[in-house]
Order: sequence, then structure tokens, then C-alpha cells
Amino acid sequence: MATTLNPAAKAGAQVGRSVPRLEGRDKVTGRAEYTHTMRLPGMLHAKLFRSTVPHGRIKSVDTSAAKKLPGVLHVVTVDDVRKVLPHPYYGPAFHDQPILADGKVRFVGEPVAAVISADPHIAEEAVQLITAEYEELPAIYDEVEALDTNIFVHEELKPAGTFADLKHLKGAKGTNLALDYRLRRGDFDKAYAAAAHKFEHEFKTQKVLHLSFEPFACICDYRETGVTFYDSTQGPSFVRTEMARLLGWPENKVRIKVPYLGSGYGSKLYIKLEALALALSMIARKPVKIAYTFEEMFYQITRHPSTFRIKSGVDKDGRIVARKCEVFWNGGAYADIGPRVTQKSGLTAAGPYDIDNVWIDSYALYTNMTPAGALRGFGVPQLVWAYENHTDMMARALNMDPVEFRRKNLAVEGKPHATGQMLKDHPVDKVMDKVLERMEWSKPFDKGGSGHIKRGRGFAIANKAVISPTTSVAIVNVAADGSATLYCGTVDMGQGSDTAMAQMVAEILNIPAEDVRVTPRDTDVTPYDMGTLGSRSLFHMGHAVRRAAEDARDKLKALAKEVGEPEGSNIPIADLFQKRYGMQAGNVIGSGIYKPDYTPPAPGTGQSPNVTPFWMVAGSGAEVEVDIETGHVKITKLVNVVDCGKAINPKSVETQISGAALMHLGFSMFEKMHLDGGQVTNASLADYKIPGFHDLPSVLESHYVEHDQSNGPFGAKGVGEVATFCVGPALANAIDDACGVRLMEMPLNAEAVYRAIRAKQGKPLEEA
Amino acid sequence: MIPFELAEPTSLAAAVKLLDPDDETVRPIAGGTALMLMMKAGVFRPQKLVSLRKIEAKYSGIAASGDGLRIGAMTTLNAVERSADVKKHAPVVTRTMRTLSNVRVRNVATVGGALAHGDPHMDLPPVLMALGATLTIVGPKGERKLPLEELFTGYYETVLDKNELISEVHVPSQGAKKGAYMKVTTGSADDWPALGVAVVLDADGGAIKSARVVGSAATTKATRLKAAETVLNGKTVDDKLLKAAGDAAIEESEFIADVRGSMPYKRELMRVYVGRAVRAAMQGTGA
Amino acid sequence: MTATRTITFTLNGAPVSADVKPHHNLVELLQTHFGLTGARETCGQGLCGCCTVIVNGRSVSGCLYLASFVDGADVRTVEALDGAGKLSPVQEAFIEASAFQCGYCTPGFILMVTQLLDEHPDPDEEQIKHYLTGNLCRCATYPEVMDAVKLAARKRKAAASA
Repeated sequence: MATTLNPAAKAGAQVGRSVPRLEGRDKVTGRAEYTHTMRLPGMLHAKLFRSTVPHGRIKSVDTSAAKKLPGVLHVVTVDDVRKVLPHPYYGPAFHDQPILADGKVRFVGEPVAAVISADPHIAEEAVQLITAEYEELPAIYDEVEALDTNIFVHEELKPAGTFADLKHLKGAKGTNLALDYRLRRGDFDKAYAAAAHKFEHEFKTQKVLHLSFEPFACICDYRETGVTFYDSTQGPSFVRTEMARLLGWPENKVRIKVPYLGSGYGSKLYIKLEALALALSMIARKPVKIAYTFEEMFYQITRHPSTFRIKSGVDKDGRIVARKCEVFWNGGAYADIGPRVTQKSGLTAAGPYDIDNVWIDSYALYTNMTPAGALRGFGVPQLVWAYENHTDMMARALNMDPVEFRRKNLAVEGKPHATGQMLKDHPVDKVMDKVLERMEWSKPFDKGGSGHIKRGRGFAIANKAVISPTTSVAIVNVAADGSATLYCGTVDMGQGSDTAMAQMVAEILNIPAEDVRVTPRDTDVTPYDMGTLGSRSLFHMGHAVRRAAEDARDKLKALAKEVGEPEGSNIPIADLFQKRYGMQAGNVIGSGIYKPDYTPPAPGTGQSPNVTPFWMVAGSGAEVEVDIETGHVKITKLVNVVDCGKAINPKSVETQISGAALMHLGFSMFEKMHLDGGQVTNASLADYKIPGFHDLPSVLESHYVEHDQSNGPFGAKGVGEVATFCVGPALANAIDDACGVRLMEMPLNAEAVYRAIRAKQGKPLEEA
Repeated sequence: MIPFELAEPTSLAAAVKLLDPDDETVRPIAGGTALMLMMKAGVFRPQKLVSLRKIEAKYSGIAASGDGLRIGAMTTLNAVERSADVKKHAPVVTRTMRTLSNVRVRNVATVGGALAHGDPHMDLPPVLMALGATLTIVGPKGERKLPLEELFTGYYETVLDKNELISEVHVPSQGAKKGAYMKVTTGSADDWPALGVAVVLDADGGAIKSARVVGSAATTKATRLKAAETVLNGKTVDDKLLKAAGDAAIEESEFIADVRGSMPYKRELMRVYVGRAVRAAMQGTGA
Repeated sequence: MTATRTITFTLNGAPVSADVKPHHNLVELLQTHFGLTGARETCGQGLCGCCTVIVNGRSVSGCLYLASFVDGADVRTVEALDGAGKLSPVQEAFIEASAFQCGYCTPGFILMVTQLLDEHPDPDEEQIKHYLTGNLCRCATYPEVMDAVKLAARKRKAAASA
């Protein structure tokens, strides 16, 4: 697998080298394989008929005209699904999502029926011939209202049994609450009452989407002897387990093959199209492909909209002494991984600050919208949006410099986190200093003259805990010619994991990274991994890979001893095998498994000495120019700094930082899924814009600090999400600095800024 | 896309004959970049498309003469962008092209299609309107001429009958007039405009002898803003005048709300941008 | 059922024919008849650039281009660029500058950058941005693409003078 670009690749010092992507050639020649463009012989296509109402009982579905269209093989509703899968519900936290709508629809766009044909155009035409009648029910959209309403999205809650903190919700009726997470530290009420200064704000984030450029796609090839999926998924092991559960089969009859992913950002986790593809292939008895159009992505998964009510008490010296966080997560119609977002991010809601008295309530709520899940940050960007605006607002109200106010309150190493865990490898101060240095913060700043362009700058800082506890397994196979192959379930969806993992193997086996082959994901071959999510892979899988490579290296050493090589011999590996087996034959197989230590948080208080194996830390600085006549914001400079522990592949780290930051620039400045009565009104790339070349800041800087992650593989940790955290609040803080308006809700688009300016002038712009 | 028939006549006359004045499901297709969007979205479900790609070559091309440009309706936007004649006779059009959609669309989309589609967000119609362009329209009864400013009747609506086709656009030479088009986006920089403002000015120093001002995108159709023109005509440009022109413009425009902005906001944008467009034209910087 | 017709055209230098229906687009034609998956339909609106194909020397959005329209045309796809197994300077530059992540939009970028450099061998940043307006990358590798374009321009110049 050596690339022709680097024929002189050498062994030694593989970690810390900007190895070009191993899969680069396949990607630049258009030959990399993706599920969405894959075809199997005899494959059929399925297209979906979707709900047009946000909440309703299904009175009837008329498929007769569709069935009559020549070329249509099957028109499938949940009744047909039940004949092959008697319990057609799935989900990682709750078994709440039906394979096709079952008696009720809960959001606009929910799949109600599927048409199967050999010709996708015929399937598409047939879908348009299906009609459904609904008894419409009142719908709930707002996450705060969902907590206190008599409109219930689900009749009864059905926890999947996977997570201990959801068990008490089993069978619950008359509620939209899919998890109520709590953290209590110190005595918030008392400390707040005694505080010299009290602040209370409410912030919101909007509904945004991942929009991977390879839309969702899955091909299922079901046979009685076993089932194979070709799947654009970030979590093949989970898919296998869940499909085996639905089938009542052992896992070894279920095979998940994952080609390259046209990215995921969290959207392709857990079950998306797999359960439906399985049912359809069982019914059609042929391979069936579901491949979404761009528009359909708006009906699959989004990021959580949120409302965050935050209260802080500050003492007379500017120290934050008490903080209360109430976070409402809008999970949409099905829980997906929302309860995990609610808990795992909820625990960091108070921010990277040293606060003795903390109260956190974090609520996962069902509503009648497209389900919400993880999106590059697992909820943390929504939290940082709130607490870093709040921080600036307090500093300004206290007439303190926002940066100095933060410095006074930062939770540096050795301080306890709100969970009680002592902070280690948490270089908030280093990250902050790096941002400020690159922003030239100490120099005078030109705020613009008397014209209509005003200038400002802002800063934000944040941390995140990695999801824990999770497990990864890896295998390193050394062939008789000395070449090494890595089998690991981490899905390379663009983050460069294959290359980074190969570098670790190469470092240990003392070979060039370019010579390590990373097998495509295939659960028949690649061992278990919890999932490619939450920046966990480099740390967890990295450890497993390191251990597998060390195991292989140790076995090679043993082999050398066995064939009589002296200690410290540098005999080529191929010669070892030749000596041992008399020809080019045999293998050495090393394996590694990793699961970090973990102490579950105490129920009710969320306290734990070990809630996460590592912390992610990021900071951003922004400079903007605001046109106060129109509200247009030009980003003149954006600096993003993260702590990466150790950069395994420096170029990949930089690309992750800028990519994450620019993606979040879109969420911050203009991206928004518009809804009207539950209907999505901008389900296309023409109307839902994402950042392009002209949206880049005039100056964009990506930096990392290398603060050794003492328990990380080679001192490293993941950086896929971390640069998303601070972009939004840094920009909002800069806008406030420029023109004195504070936006409490994203996106910070021109109209929102203009309206805030007008409101501040006492001349609010009329609503419509 | 769901199935449909495709006809590829080799003459404009034959194309006109294939169109049915009473059948919504039969439509002409030129470049197809806009029409296919409607088909993919299910907004338009054709039984039959009549392709204009194989009609006489004379409908693709640009000719310059003393009184300006004659642009065949099947001329691609890319050809307009590259045309030395367009650059000479209507430099504001050349400048506009760069911000219009993207290279691939410009390579395929046609001038006639961009006009006949009636989409108020398109950039070319307001600019051609400000230049005072005239259309030649061919139908079953023969040819007729129409000032472009009379083409649009509403949101995606034109005066064209279903069996009429634009064959040619006549653009008077810009001459010494100054022109600018300002495309105002409100989210991503590359988006359909929330507002388009085109101005063409006959000016002498800082004084405007006569102005043509057209608003688009924020409005239901590309609209000539005659009240704003009246404010500007015969005056010397200063902040007060431009504000007055902006105020006049919003009074005569019919705004639409969409994901790019509310009506009140688009009004404010127009109030500001009419003046900015005039300034840009005077300074020769307008995109 | 709509009528099928046979079209003939040149695909990456070779004469080919295919039976198409009026509603088939160019991406589908390339994928189903020729197994070429470098052009991909993502947004379906000509905005993202993933479906870029070169028809008669000009870039088009394959998702908005009826397959019937390439009858008689010269069609080139990304698969033509590494003839005889040698990467083009633009492809090399994208690898060296790390100008992709997931790779889904990459073939479109590669083709458009190739067109850009054919037209403007030494483009400045503004030209690059304008030319690539219709190419979006959700992984947002824009800074790296900018580097790659400049690197590719240098490589092409070096190759031309060699």
C-alpha cells in the first residue's frame, strides 16, 4: 500500500510525521468506494413514502395505485415488515423507532411506506401514487414546552436496556422526557443567595444538520444463511449487534461491510437505514439498496436545538461562586442517542471554570420534529454557545476585561471539575495563551471609525469529556514477507484515522507507515469497536492498535529467539518466517483491547472521581467587521487552538481543526433548518446554505498545543470535534464588542444582527 | 426524476409547434439547469420536454452593431461572460456574470432560459432590464417584440404563452453610461440573492442626467423602480439624495419573505442598497 | 414507459454507446452503464460540484444534465486523469496538500481545478475562489484546496518547462 508519492518512505519516527493519506490516491482518482454509488448484481432499489403531518394517527395508507405501476415489485408498510421482523422497533437508547410508521406518525418526513423496484425512477414514481389519511393530533415543537404539556409524542417509553440511567423510564406514560440528568456539587442555592453579583440568561441554538456529501445509503443482502450489509455507517459493530437482535440471530451471521464514508459528523451512527433495508431485503429476497437524496437527509437526523438557562453568582472579587444550568435538548420524535448527549455533555454544562457550587439539570425531550443526535461535539457546542456568551456578558457588566475574568475563574490542572474528578491534562491556560498570542490581544485594537463599519473581537474557551466507558479491539497481522495489516473497526470518514493508526503500527514495528495496510471495515474480519464518534477513536482504538502492534512485535521477538537469532538481532522479518517455516509462509498475529477505567457518576449528584479518561480543550478568537446599516458580519480573523496531546499526524490535526471550525462557522453564522408547522421549508442545498470558499475568514489560523496526554497512546488524544466548540460564542462576543448587541440565539445572520442593532437603537424592526 | 418524453426538434418553428398552449405538462427545455431543479423537487412533473438544443445555430450567438447587442436566446451565460462584444457594449453584464451562479451552470444555462423562467432571484434579468433590453418572442402567429421590463408579471410568471419562445434579446449599448449590479446575500456569501439592485446611469460628473434602477430577488419579480429613478434624475449625488432614492424604491416594490429574510428586513436592505448601487456605478466598482 | 434511445459519444477518449431514457441524467449514465463512480450526485442542484463532468471541453453538473444531451459529445470524467497510472499534477497536489478529508467532493474539485488551470495557469486567490464557487466541501478543506491549486499550478509550470 506504499504510495507512489513517497517511494522513499523510511522506517522510524512514524508518529509525529505528516504522512500523506494512505487512501489519497483512491480519493483523487474517483475510485474510492462509497455505499451510495455501489451496485450489487440483481440489486433492487427502494424509495420511501413519507408523512406529511407532524403528528397523527394513520387512518389508512392506500398503496393500490402504486402496486399497479408496471415495474413495481413490492409496496411495503409496517404490516408487511411485521411478517418478517415481529418486533420492528430499534434505537440505541430506546427501542422507540419503528422501521416504518406504526399506527402513528411523529414527524413530517417519517417513512410510512416503501416501494421496491429494479428501476429507482419507477419506485420514485410509485411513491407519488401512494396516499395516506391521518387523524391529525396536536404537535409539540419547543423543547421547553415539551416538558410541560399534555401533548405526548410517545404513548409509553421503551428504554433499550443498554443504559442504567434510563431504566427508571421504562413504561413511563404521559411524558416527553427521555432523560433527566442531574449534577449537584456544593450548595448552589446558598452560594447564589450570598453572591455579590447575580446573572441569569437564556440562550438558544437552532436546528442544523450534518449534511454529509454522501447521503445516507445502505444495501442489505439477506439470505437465510446470513445477511450482509454494505453500509455507510460510523458504527459497524453496533449495527451488527442491533441487526442480530432484530433477527434473533447470533452476531456471526450478520456481516457489516463499510467502504469509505462520504463523511458522517455523527449522522451515521447507530441505526439509520439498516433496519428498513433488512426488512425490505427479507421481503424482496434480493439485495435492496436505499440511497437517500439530499432532501431526504432533512428527515433522518439533525443536531439538537437547545435552550440553556444559566445563572451565575459572582463574588466581589470577580470569582464565580455558584452556577445553575438548566439545559433542554430538543430530541425530535425518536430518542436516537439524545439521552447520551443529554448526560455526557450535560456534565460539562458549567464550563471549564472552577466553581464550588454547581447545579445542572439536563433534559432530553421528545418533540414532533426530525430526530436529533450527535453532531461533531455531542452537544458541547450548544453548551459552550451559552456559557461563553454568559461569561462575556458578566465580565462586561462587572466592567472586567472578558479575558481577565476568564483567567481568574479557569479550572486549571489540579482543580476539581464539577463532577468531582480532579482535572489532569487539561491545559486551558496554555490554549488560552496561544489564542491570545495569535490574536495579538495585548495590542491596541482598531474598532473602526464613525462610518457604518464597526470592528470588534471576541474570545471563548471550552472543554469536553470523552464518552466513557467504551471498548476498542484491534488486530495486527504480520505476513511472511514482513508486511503488516491492521484490522480495526474505526471508520475513516475523512478524519484520517487509517493513516494515524497505521503510523502507530509502523512506529512500533519499525516500518514505514506507508507499508501498513488498513483493511476496509468488515465485521467478519475487523474486531469490535464501540463506534467512530465523540473523538474517542485515536485514544481508545489508538491504545488497542498500539497494544496489538506491541503484541505482534513481542511475538516476532519470540519467533526470532525460537529460530536461534541472538538478542537484538536486526534480521529482516521475512527472513524470520523463512527460517521458521522453510518458505514464505505463516503469520504473526497480535491483538489488543482497550477499555479505560471509569467510575459511574453517583445517581442524583453526578459525582465521580473518574468520569472521563481525558479532557478536550479548545479556544477561539475572532475579529469581525459589522455593517451596522445592514447587519452583515465579515469575519476578518478566526484563530482556533486545541490541545491534541501529541500530534500523531500534524497535517491531519490542522485539517481537523480548520475543518471543524469552518463547519461550525456555518452553524454559527447562517445555517438553520426552517420549520413551519412542522414542515421543513428549506430542505435543499439551494435554501440551506453551507460554508463555501467566500465564507472563509480573511485570516484563518489553526494551532494546537501539545500537552502530553499522560494516559494516551503516544501521549495523544482525539481532535475531530474540539475546534467546533468556541467558534459561535467567539463570534457573538466579537459582534457585541463591535456594535454593542448581544445575540442570544444562533445563527448570527445579517438579519438577526440588524434586528438587534435596531432594538438597541430603540427602533425595533417590525416582525413580518 | 420520474419518467417523461423528450422531443428534440431541429428548428424553432418546429419547437413552437410541439408546445401546447393548454398543456402545463409540456415545456421547453434549453440548458435545463433551472427546470431540472423543479422536476427533481416534484414541483413540475412533465409529460414531455421539448429540447431547444438542436434548433438553428443562429439562436446561439452574439452580434454587435451600432445600436448594441443581439444575443440569441440559446446563447450560454458562459458565452456572454467571455464575449468581447458584451464587454465592450455592456460591461456591467460582464461584471455581473462572475457572481452569477457557478461556472458549470453558466456553461449550460442560456440567456433565454434565465429570462423565461421568471425566477426573481436570477441576476441577469435586472441587469438587462436596467440596460433597457428588448425581447423578440416567437409564437405560432409569428414574431413580436417586448421590452424586457414588461416580461415579468409575478413570481415565476411571465407574459409568455406556453407555446411562445424567446428567440433573441436586444441590448442597447451601454455607451458612456455607468452601470452596477449589487447582489446582496444574507447568509452564505454564495447564495441566491436576498436582494439584487441594478442601476444604469447617464451621468455627468456627480450629476445624474437619467437613471434606470431595477430591484429583484427581494421582490416578487424583477421590477423597474421608477419612483427612485425620478428622485435621482437631474440631481447631484449625495447621501441625502441616495437615501431619498432608497425610500422611494421601497414604496414601489412588492416584497417577499423567505429563508433569506423577512419583508421588513428586505425593505431595509433595499433602502440602503439602492444608494450603494448608485455609488458603485458612479465609481465604476459595481459587481 | 418512455422510449429508450441509443446514444453514441466519446467517453474518456473511447467511442461508446448506451441505451438511455429521457429522464436519465449524466451521472446515472456514467454509473450504471460504465461503472464510473467518480461523478456523484449529492445536492442534485448543481451547487456542490460532486457531479462535475467535462462535456465538449466544458464543465457541467452531471446531475442537471440529461444523459440524452451527450449524444455525439466528447465526455471526460475524473477517471481519465490518471492515464497510464500516472496521477495528474492536480491530483498529486491534492494528495500533497492534504486537500480532502472524506473525498466525496474531491473528483469534482480535481476536475474544476484542472479546468481552472487550463484557463488561468497562474490564478490568484480571488480567481480561485470565484472559479470554485460551485464546489462545496462539507469537511471544509478549503484552505488546503487553496494550497493545492497553487501547488498544482507550480507543478504544471514545472512540467511544461521541463
